[in-house]
Amino acid sequence: MTIYPTRRGALLSLVAGAALFAALPALAEDVTVTFWGAYGNGGNSTQQDALNSTLIPAFEAAHPGIKIKYVDVPYDSLLQKLTTSAAGGELPDLVRADLGWVPQFADLGVLVALSDAMPDFQTFADATYPGTLATNLYKGKYYGLPLDTNTRVLVVNQAALDQAGVSAPPASFDELKALAEKLKGTDIQVFADGGLGGWNLFPWIWSGGGNVTDAELTKASGYLDSPESVAAVQMLVDLYAAGQIPNLIIGNQGATGTSDGLPSENYATILDGPWMAGIWAEQYPDFTPVYAPVPAGPGGSVSVVGGEDIVLTTASKNQEAALEFIRFTQSEQFQIEMAKTGQMTVIPAFADKQAEILPFLAPFAEQLKTAKSRLAIPGSSKVDGILNAELVPAFEGKVSVQEALTNAAAQIDPLLSGAL
Amino acid sequence: MTDLVRDASGPKLARHPQRVSRQAGGAMKLWRTWLPPALFIAPGFLIFLVCIVYPMLQAAQMSLFDWKLVAGATSNFLGFDNYIRAFNDPRFWLALSNSGIYMAFTVPPQIILGLGVALLLKDKSPAQPLFRVLYYLPVVTSWVVVSLLFKYLFADRGLINFALDDLLGATDKISWLADRWTALVAICALGVWKGIGWSMMIFLAALQGVPKELEEAAVIDGANRWQRFLAVTVPAIWPATIFVTIMLVIGGFNVFASVLVMTNGGPGGATEVLLTYMYRQAFEFLDFGYGSALAVILTLIVFALSALQLTLFRNPEATPSARRAVR
Amino acid sequence: MSPARSLRLVALAFGALLMVTPFLYMLSTSFKGQQYVLKLPPQFIPDPPTLSNYERILLRGDFGHYFVNSLLVAVTSTALAVLLSAMMAYGFARYRFPGRELLFRLLLLGLMIPAMMLIVPQFLLAKWFGVLDSLPGLIIFYVAGNLALNTFLLRGFFEALPGELDQAMQIDGAGHWRRFWSLALPLARPALATATIFTFLATWDEFAWALTIITTPENQTLPIAIALLLGPKGTQWGLVFAASIIAILPVIAVFLTFQRHFVQGLTAGSVKG
Repeated sequence: MTIYPTRRGALLSLVAGAALFAALPALAEDVTVTFWGAYGNGGNSTQQDALNSTLIPAFEAAHPGIKIKYVDVPYDSLLQKLTTSAAGGELPDLVRADLGWVPQFADLGVLVALSDAMPDFQTFADATYPGTLATNLYKGKYYGLPLDTNTRVLVVNQAALDQAGVSAPPASFDELKALAEKLKGTDIQVFADGGLGGWNLFPWIWSGGGNVTDAELTKASGYLDSPESVAAVQMLVDLYAAGQIPNLIIGNQGATGTSDGLPSENYATILDGPWMAGIWAEQYPDFTPVYAPVPAGPGGSVSVVGGEDIVLTTASKNQEAALEFIRFTQSEQFQIEMAKTGQMTVIPAFADKQAEILPFLAPFAEQLKTAKSRLAIPGSSKVDGILNAELVPAFEGKVSVQEALTNAAAQIDPLLSGAL
Repeated sequence: MTDLVRDASGPKLARHPQRVSRQAGGAMKLWRTWLPPALFIAPGFLIFLVCIVYPMLQAAQMSLFDWKLVAGATSNFLGFDNYIRAFNDPRFWLALSNSGIYMAFTVPPQIILGLGVALLLKDKSPAQPLFRVLYYLPVVTSWVVVSLLFKYLFADRGLINFALDDLLGATDKISWLADRWTALVAICALGVWKGIGWSMMIFLAALQGVPKELEEAAVIDGANRWQRFLAVTVPAIWPATIFVTIMLVIGGFNVFASVLVMTNGGPGGATEVLLTYMYRQAFEFLDFGYGSALAVILTLIVFALSALQLTLFRNPEATPSARRAVR
Repeated sequence: MSPARSLRLVALAFGALLMVTPFLYMLSTSFKGQQYVLKLPPQFIPDPPTLSNYERILLRGDFGHYFVNSLLVAVTSTALAVLLSAMMAYGFARYRFPGRELLFRLLLLGLMIPAMMLIVPQFLLAKWFGVLDSLPGLIIFYVAGNLALNTFLLRGFFEALPGELDQAMQIDGAGHWRRFWSLALPLARPALATATIFTFLATWDEFAWALTIITTPENQTLPIAIALLLGPKGTQWGLVFAASIIAILPVIAVFLTFQRHFVQGLTAGSVKG
């Protein structure tokens, strides 16, 4: 009996000694780099798992003395948390920021210009897709590097097409309209989308040959309300009026979402990103999505660039270590591991390898070649609100599309002045 | 607000003669008047001053600036420009009217239904505790959860449409959340549903304070049920009614989570309420100056409404039994 | 049973059904797989039922840890807030002093300002106190945020307590604190129960402030854990509702524990006056 305390005591001191031994160098050298993001949301934790169990350990093994602490923040609240933290000077070292936020936070002065801080910045920048890289540009400097990218392609439910007697996904505006005709009388709607922001609308405007602003981002009037832009939106409004697009698009939060409506054969086609594959595989195991390019209009098939950038904040006390992790995010290991979870690589050189791992990403990679980015301006968050507010009445038939887009352009103009 | 409290309880103070008044005057008297209440009030009040009032003053100060979020950046003093901007902002007026409509259509039903249930539950019966829990269940659940639930119920393929379609034979599917008015119906329905239990509990308590002897006297006088309710019950629960009304009006104007979750202010901003609009200005557009101005306006409106209610509802001479009831 | 009595029972039961149906539906959905959630006609009894939502929540992640954090914060904040408000309410109720109504009015103004606009100034304050990213940081501001309503609520009760006992104790030589602690508090215990239920509920559910100051996952509370389940790409209702059901349980437990006092609490004044 009396042996136990002794043995336990000996064991304890052994453990304590070992811990102390291990802790001493750690105390002297270890720096912790904190990294905020919204990787693990909606109960789907594959991305967070890849980061926490594979990539961060790999980085830490290769860089003794640097610890990476990833903090998952609720997706809908990340911007609010970043805002209050910026006000208090409490931002983390690194943030995985939606690419639309970079100019806004750069404008606040809380981001470090990577093009100044990284001697080797240009090497990394040159390796990425130019369209994705451009979302980091603000007033002549780059405030981040692309972390992952994506775009929207047409996702189709083949069973719904079969009901219309159509074999292939609509490849053009005309084929989309024809499909809508053939779906008349069924309870399937030809297309669905969840809003009227830039993410939803711009693919149609660009594919229709229109534009949102001039190339220098100085004016929306004359571009957003050009005949081409109006015609593209008019097509959607016509389909909506014919009952072929659900009112989900004007913000009916009660309508069946695209992610449920497509596999349930409520909607024949939607525009969506690569992340849905994993969600459907889990929730709708019987459903096989078919991917096709955005239907082409007079302007070709042009989609919108999405994704996230990694940024370094001025609050970081460990800039060198943080920059080291940013470099790691551009490595093949990081990019390919994330590609496995559906996060597309930002580096074209890895695209082939990515397609080998996940063949379904090929159409997305193809679409990315022509995809454009939304407005990289500090006021970009207001653009979606303006578009929604002006276009909902147009869909409801209360005002003309021309009128709505002219009004929207007039409100976007002041956000553009002095942006660059 | 203060008058309410004084009204409800005023006479008691008179029953406590000022114990210090007979003591020696001057500094000693001041000391004796101030010290005991100060010791009771100070700890909590200091926390309140530091953690609530000081931030409140800062928010009010922000509303006079084109406030820059990050410390060190110079904010421009605007005077009352943010307030003038609100006055000329149609979206602010839309949001204000939506908040007002929500308040107007949720406060009376909560009071009437809460009182009705309380009247039914007033007498002791074995089932009473069970019902009490069932009616109170919505109150204890978080706003986010019940908002999600109601969004789901009022969804196009949700339970409400299913019931209308199958049970009542209404064939046209209503997109409840796609139109300003039907969406407000859904949001108000949630507000009432969630609030009944709260007012019920307070009325239940107030009803048990209705003086039995007055009730009996009224019966002897030959008063019918309705006359007894008006003559005896209503005066007795009057202070509780005022308390409930004021708290509900404050809550009504502060409607936020349910709108954010159920419609997100859509479609096209048609169901935006004051707090969701304020939230967008501050946390999406980083326009904290304007957001704070909206917060100050909201506070002033609620304060003015509370004062107005007290003037309208106060009727001390007519409700002697009310005072007795809460005493 | 008289016809009037039966009618009353039927009316109550019908109302209770309206109150409870959404909950039963929520409970039922928490046992459904995602592919069955939006089925038409809606399923009231899950078919096939699944425990997978509960399994994913309970087995994955640190749900238990967040639960303990929430409990710790809610219990501590509630105890402190109720004690401090009771003291304030007693001070306002039992003593007359210049500026009393002004102070009280200021307190009530604190009920009217939208808490959201205080978040940035409060964040700076919390930073200055050095309580960012800590449970004490939650507790301090939860206590502060609940003082006004509780004081408003409790003041009336203390004013309603009979003065005779107080005077008797004073004659016996009892000081101010003893009269508060040994006389007023026990007499107002039912009212304190009311305040306890309100405060526990408010602190248990609080999201915005917790989101703002808590960063380390080990310090997160339950509402944040639930928010992490709400994805941008199609919400999994079964999962969200299962988490919510678990989160509601302690609140119901607190309500059941204190509800007997609850009604008595609000009426105690009328009985004793």
